[in-house]
Amino acid sequence: MHKYSRNKLISVRREDKNTLIVHGVLDDDIYGIEQNVRISIPDLEVLEINGKWNRWTTPECPRAIPVLQEAVGFRIEEEGFSGKVHKIIGRKACRHHANLLLECCYSAKEAALIAKWEDKKAENKGLTFKDFINGETKNTAPALVERPVSAGRDFVQRDEVKKKSFNKNEERGTIIDLHMHSSPASPCSSVPVDQLIYDAKSIGLDGICLTDHNYVWDKDVVDELRQKHEFIILRGNEITTNQGDMLVFGLYKDIQGIIRLEDLRKEVDKAGGFIIVAHPFRGFLVFNVGELGLTPEKAMERPLFKYVDAVEVLNGKVTEKENSFALKVAEGLGLPVTGGSDAHEVSEVGTYATMFPVSVKDENDLINALKTGNYSPIAFKKEREKIKR
Amino acid sequence: MDNILSFLRNRCTSVEEIDEHTLKSTCRLQDTLMDAVVEITVRLPDLEITDVKGEVYQSCRKECRESADYLRKITGVRIGPGMLKIIKGLIGEISGCKQLVFMVEECCHGVILSFTKESLVDAPRPRDIEEAKEFYAEMVRENVRLYNRCAAFAPGSSLVEGFDLQENS
Ligand SMILES: [Zn+2]
Repeated sequence: MHKYSRNKLISVRREDKNTLIVHGVLDDDIYGIEQNVRISIPDLEVLEINGKWNRWTTPECPRAIPVLQEAVGFRIEEEGFSGKVHKIIGRKACRHHANLLLECCYSAKEAALIAKWEDKKAENKGLTFKDFINGETKNTAPALVERPVSAGRDFVQRDEVKKKSFNKNEERGTIIDLHMHSSPASPCSSVPVDQLIYDAKSIGLDGICLTDHNYVWDKDVVDELRQKHEFIILRGNEITTNQGDMLVFGLYKDIQGIIRLEDLRKEVDKAGGFIIVAHPFRGFLVFNVGELGLTPEKAMERPLFKYVDAVEVLNGKVTEKENSFALKVAEGLGLPVTGGSDAHEVSEVGTYATMFPVSVKDENDLINALKTGNYSPIAFKKEREKIKR
Repeated sequence: MDNILSFLRNRCTSVEEIDEHTLKSTCRLQDTLMDAVVEITVRLPDLEITDVKGEVYQSCRKECRESADYLRKITGVRIGPGMLKIIKGLIGEISGCKQLVFMVEECCHGVILSFTKESLVDAPRPRDIEEAKEFYAEMVRENVRLYNRCAAFAPGSSLVEGFDLQENS
């Protein structure tokens, strides 16, 4: 028996020389959606959109309908079109409406191609669609980018890092938020870096690590920020791998695209750096865990844990359950644990951080401190009052 | 012009339970220009993609007829937040056929939605709108990430009334 099915039916007709009328229907076990979209043929612009729910889940889902109007004016061939639909229609209205809208728009794009072929055929009777389309796309064939495939399990042995207990009553060392995103380096963040630093300073953190996505901060720029704000600002990088997001320290190489975790490990070893797996169970517990049967013991078997030096067990963007699950897994594996806010907005700075018993003043100190395994994650915003100043 | 369609698309994604530990998600596409199927096998509880198969039965685009083999590169990826970026990064550039990449994404969404369906089926039936509101309000409180992720959970919605991000951090 099928556990779930989704059907989408899109029909496109040409209203006049320059306009397409698209009718889209989405029906799945959970939702029923319809959309009518008018699209111009010459520039593939969304001229008009009407959407409706036939079946939905929450009592507030109908709020999504008026927001669909924000897609009017989008052009299907503009740079980042699908990202825009996800970000604006998916986030502000509903991601299922966004899904259907993309389906409608991409169908319209195909229909527009057919319409253009029909127009051309009027002048050139023998033109087949295949010849027409090959002429249209001849110069836009995508380049083949092969990624090196690594041998697999041959990862380099690293210094064993041992976890020591850390007495919170000791004279406190350095508290650093190891995970945050600034704008525009991370397109998903809304906080300019100066604001981020200002906030971190004002809530009493000792320092921060800028971990923008696949982004290498320029050393001079960060030095300037450090002087300007008289604050400890360190460089990290949150790199997306085939095994998820990794917080990387001590590697200042620009890595774009998706790297295999094994390959990243080699790069980081060469540079003498450090890898923390970020929010390893983000989203997993949205489905109920019992259903999936994911136990910490099972999760410990994930190959990714062989390639990382530490585990982020307090992350500000995941649920408490997901964090405590990560902690159990890290403890089971004997890996050191860290905390970071993963701030993308001002209010999020410093929710979580990592407390080092030693003084950390620069990036070298940080790597050395991380490699000792002697530190602990803290819910900084909640506990800052209790911390001995 | 008249009422004859110039383009018609039919897409069906379905998720099937093979055994206790295995799901199969299949996306079939049939439209005026293309006929294809993508199938992923997913292992529980990790939701790891253990196998991917794709077949393009008909397409006027060369890059699509030749792309199905690249799909295998995503074996080992886990379904969950962030997966789209990983899938696009692994096969988006090399495959050249956007449709096949989209079909993989549809298969993955199907798997997630099969769990959403299950949890909704298992949840107690709300007797009135107030109970329904409370059920979804509780859901956002449990999963901060849902806050402001769609119109129903955006500020101004009754489901997030009095919702304070701070209390969750
Ligand atoms: Zn992050």
